[in-house]
Formats: sequence, C-alpha cells, structure tokens
Amino acid sequence: MNNLSEIGKILVDNLNRYYMPFPVDKKVCSEWAKDLPKGGNTIIYTSCMYQIEPAVGMFLKFLPSISSFKGLMPLARLVKPSRSQLDRAYKILNNIVKALEKSGIKPGYLYEEEPYSGAILLEMGFLKEFGEYAKKVVSLFKEKGVRKIITVDPHTHNALTRYQEFVKHDLEIANYLELVNYTKKVEGEFTIHDSCLYSRFLGLREKYRGLIEKSGIKLVEDEMITGKYTSSCCGGPLGPVDLKVSEKIAENRAKDLEKLSKKLLVVCPICYVTLLPHFKGEIMDIAEVIF
Amino acid sequence: MSWDIAVYRAINNAVPKVYKVLREHPYIEELAKRLREAKLEVLNNLEKYVEETLQSVKNNGGNAYYVHDEKEAQEIVGKIVGKGKIVVMGKSMVAYELGIRKYLESLGNEVWETDLGEFLIQQANEPPSHIIAPAIHMTKESVGKLLKEKIGGVDENSKVEDMVAVVRKFLRDKFVKADVGITGANAIAADTGSVLLVENEGNIRFTTVAPQIHIAIAGVEKILPTLADAMIEPLVQSAYAGLYPPTYVNLTSGPSSTADIEHNRVRPAHGPKEFHLILVDNGRVKANKDNILREALLCIRCGRCHFHCPIYRAIGNIWGDPPYSGPMGAMWSYIVKGDTKPAMYCVHSGNCKEVCPMRINIPRVLEYIKNLGLHSKGKLEL
Repeated sequence: MNNLSEIGKILVDNLNRYYMPFPVDKKVCSEWAKDLPKGGNTIIYTSCMYQIEPAVGMFLKFLPSISSFKGLMPLARLVKPSRSQLDRAYKILNNIVKALEKSGIKPGYLYEEEPYSGAILLEMGFLKEFGEYAKKVVSLFKEKGVRKIITVDPHTHNALTRYQEFVKHDLEIANYLELVNYTKKVEGEFTIHDSCLYSRFLGLREKYRGLIEKSGIKLVEDEMITGKYTSSCCGGPLGPVDLKVSEKIAENRAKDLEKLSKKLLVVCPICYVTLLPHFKGEIMDIAEVIF
Repeated sequence: MSWDIAVYRAINNAVPKVYKVLREHPYIEELAKRLREAKLEVLNNLEKYVEETLQSVKNNGGNAYYVHDEKEAQEIVGKIVGKGKIVVMGKSMVAYELGIRKYLESLGNEVWETDLGEFLIQQANEPPSHIIAPAIHMTKESVGKLLKEKIGGVDENSKVEDMVAVVRKFLRDKFVKADVGITGANAIAADTGSVLLVENEGNIRFTTVAPQIHIAIAGVEKILPTLADAMIEPLVQSAYAGLYPPTYVNLTSGPSSTADIEHNRVRPAHGPKEFHLILVDNGRVKANKDNILREALLCIRCGRCHFHCPIYRAIGNIWGDPPYSGPMGAMWSYIVKGDTKPAMYCVHSGNCKEVCPMRINIPRVLEYIKNLGLHSKGKLEL
C-alpha cells in the first residue's frame, strides 16, 4: 500500500494551488472546446477527467516513491497524454456536446477556469479534505454565476452529488445521460462494463443501457459477469492506494468480459484506461459509438 | 494462482445458489427485514439486553459471563477447561478472534477444530479465508495433499467424498472422547437465554451435546430480543450463504434437562452437565455508540458480500485481520483490532451493499473508517 498520508497532503496542496490534483497544463483540459460560450447559467463540467485520465497511469507508477519528489512539478511533463489520446478524449466531449445540443441544451463551459471535482479525495477517504475543497468549488461556481452543472463521467457526478453533505448549495447537478438521446443508429454486438457508481450508487444504469439498446446495439450479457450485482469494478479507483491490486482486479475483469465479446463498451474514462492494457479486443466509450 | 482458481470456483458455485434460494423461498427476504429490525432494537438498548441475556442463562441453570477483551475471555475459558483436556471446537469466529484455541493449547490441552474447513486450516496452520468457508483458498487438490500428509488415506487425486470420509473417521473419535465443546452462536435470545447455531456438518451438534461441558462464546451483537426473533437468524443466514435449508439448526437453553419424572424439570440429563455463555465486547460496545459503525454490528456472517467483491476475488486470502476477511471483514478488522488498513482497499464497487441481507451500506462504513485512519491523530496520518 502506498503512503496515503503523503499522497493526501500532496493532493490537497495541488488542489489548493491549481484546482487540480496534480499540475497539468490547463490547455490540455480545455482545448477540446472551441465554440462554447464561456461560463453561463448552465455549464458542461468535465473535471478534466476524459482529458487527463490516459496519463494518470504514469502518475500512479510514481506514487510509491512520491516522498522522494519535491512536489509534483517534475512529474507534470510526464503526465501529459499523447496527441492520439487527447484527440480521442476531445472527440468524446464534443460528441456529448452535440448530443446535448440535439436535445435543445446549449451549455457553457469554464475553459481553463474549470476546477477538478475533488473525487479522488472522496474515494480515498479524505472526507475532511474533500468537504473543505467542495466549499471552494461551490464558491467558484457561484462566483461564475453557474446554476446548473452537467457532468460527463460517474466519478465527477458522484462527487458533486455528495457536496450537499459538506456544503449547503442550490446548484442543480445533472448527468448528460439523463438529458440526451442516442443520435446515431449502430449495428453490431458489444458487451458492456458498467460503471460501479452509475450502476449501484447513482441510479443511471438503466439510462445508458436504454440509450445503447435504442441505438440498435445488441448487448452480449451474462448474469454472472454483467449483472447489476455481479459485475465487478475495473479496479481503477484503487490505483492511488495499491497499483498492483488495482491491476489484478482489472486483469480479472478483462478476462471475464473477453468471454462475452471482443468489443467492449464503457461509460467512464477511468474504466477505459484501466481495462485497456488487459482487455484483448476493442474498448470504446458509449459517447464514441452512439452519438 | 491457487487462490484465483479456488475463489473463481467458489464464486460460481455460491452466487447462483443464493439467487436460487431467494427465488424459491421468497419469505426469506421478509424474514431478513424483520431480523434487521430486531437486531437494531437490541443495539439501541444494548446494556439492557446484555443484562437480560445473562440473567436468562442463569435462570436455565447455566453460567453467564460478560468479557471486555481477549485477555478476560481467555482467563474465563481457561478456568472452565483447565489442563490436560480434550476440547472440540465448533467453528467459532469469535473464538478465533480471541485466540482461544491457541491459549487452550498453551495450557496443555488437546484442541481440535471440528468444522471441516476449520480442521483443514488448523492442520495447514493457516488463517481462515472466508467467514463461513474458512478453507476456501484451498483447491480440492491441495486439500488432498494436506490430508495425505496429516492423516493419510487420501491424496491429491481422491474424490471430495473420500476426503470428507477420512476426516469424519478421524474426528468421530475426538467427539466421543472430548471433555469440553466450544462453539460460537448465530443468535442468542435475551428472553430465554437460548443459543442458536446453524450448520450442515453435524459437528456442532456433536460439540454441543457429546462433551460434559458446553461453552458458547459470542459477541454481544448476536443477542436478539426474543427466542422467536433468534429463530429467524439461522434461516436468513443459511439462505444468504446459499446453503438452504441448513442441514441442522441447534438450540441450546442451558445444560441438558429432563422433565420425564412427574413433569419436574431437572438438570443435567444425557447432554452436557454444564453450559457457559461468554458474551464478548472487544470493541463492539464502542462501535455501537457510533451511528455509522453500528451498522457493521448488524452483520450476520453469511459471507455473501465476499463473493460479490472484486477486492476479495483479487486478494481475499490476505485482505483483513483473520478471521475477518472480505467487505464485512474490512469493517470488523477495525471494530475488533482498530485496524483501518483493510478499509483503505475498498474500491466502492457497491455490490456488497446491494446483496447484504441486513442492507448494510458497507462502502459507506468503509469510507468512514478510511477517514478515521487517515486522521487518527487529528491530521493526515497513516
């Protein structure tokens, strides 16, 4: 197990300085959006998850020896995703925006002023620090005049729905899956790796499964592998705690899913990145497929 | 690799069985709800129910004790058992928690675990890897190899039935000669002082009846208000363990008795002359005072959460402080040992909370324990 206390201190320090868990060139987070209004009453909120997640694996590899680094600045260059990874992330986010627009929603975006949600603190158990950070993020949203936030990934959505336990606010939180319809007819078979948070904490499992089925995709299922109470985690959220165990979970999960199909749908950027090295086949986010 | 194979087989055997049981016996889910309410009633009035239970056991001609920790528990058991005795144990996780077997061995007693899984891990000198299937980390091949070395008669290629048969033959002799039987308790009725035990092997029935002395050791959270409530527990526990109907449910209310002469009830009769109940705190009372940790005390040890947990599948045999493993074990490692590290491994998959018969929000309890561990001295600390 990594030195969680040390990691916590560094995360908190970075969040206080950059509104990000580690130093990232904010353009990496924001350059996917070109024509969205800056700010506004309703915003799309990425928390830089799709954009930065492909590089987090590199960051996690350094965590066991984190105390030997003077802060994380030396890592900033290393944790930048590749061009192709960024292009994929940007395409997903733009597809989500297009789907929202087709449903009559024209969101704004905070661009480089968009803060990270604090999800990593919550999921590692730093509740006190998460609560304090949530207060800062809520203040920032209020300062920017934001009233409604549209999240695009399960970890951010979960974090934001938990803010109320730590700070009173009247922000409306919605997930894009609640607001869109599929925009592209698709033929073919996929299996699916559900998001634990969407599926068993946030009540969104049937939303995205409904969109997938309406798009024409046939899901290949097995009650022991893709059932609501049997489908396993990808292991990703355990990465900061113990990368080896996180990878073992991913390996188990990938092996199970491969039995069903070589084409896998995911609904979360962490699941995608975690399963990618282990799954022998093609993995796609639903936002790459049905919009 | 052995763990991967063993746990994969166990998951694929156990999970569908529980679903089948719940489908075929829909009343079980209603009983589980009633059981949760009854357990909460006790936890909300714990002191009162502990007193009532102790008195009820005494009313039945038994002896009852309340112990705060491992040391007190060992002292009392040691005084009852003495030295140079043959002791048979009927699968008590609380006895393992309190180090009872090793303590009795250190006093010069011959102590045998009689549950097959417990017997195997005793012979292998390994900790249990699942709350109700302690030898789940062993494949049948590794069990055959172990038995070949320890008692003979079978090997790696033997059938499971033959492996069970050699252990049965070996332990029958121990049951007959045993001076003392030690069990846990699935439930204890406060109003009657009765102890309920559910099992399949028949070893608990032997352990509670054959020796002259029966000692039951159980956490205070096993108390239920009435015998009617307590009778529910074995049904719910065995159903959610996928082993329904259970082969045996044992009820013990004090030493053996008879009323066959003039309908005047006297003790003992054919069974044990002495019955002792030891109620254990060991961190439970403190946990009960915390609204979030209290939820963990509702656990009925069915072990279902283990089989739905990706962490357990990945590293289950080394996750948690023995005998507590799996999601429930990550909670209990903190309650009885103050160890927050197992909780840190919770990846909030959330299956455990969905399949728990007591509806314990295990990820939320573990999140709370993580936070306690990270701030143990008021600041970030681990």
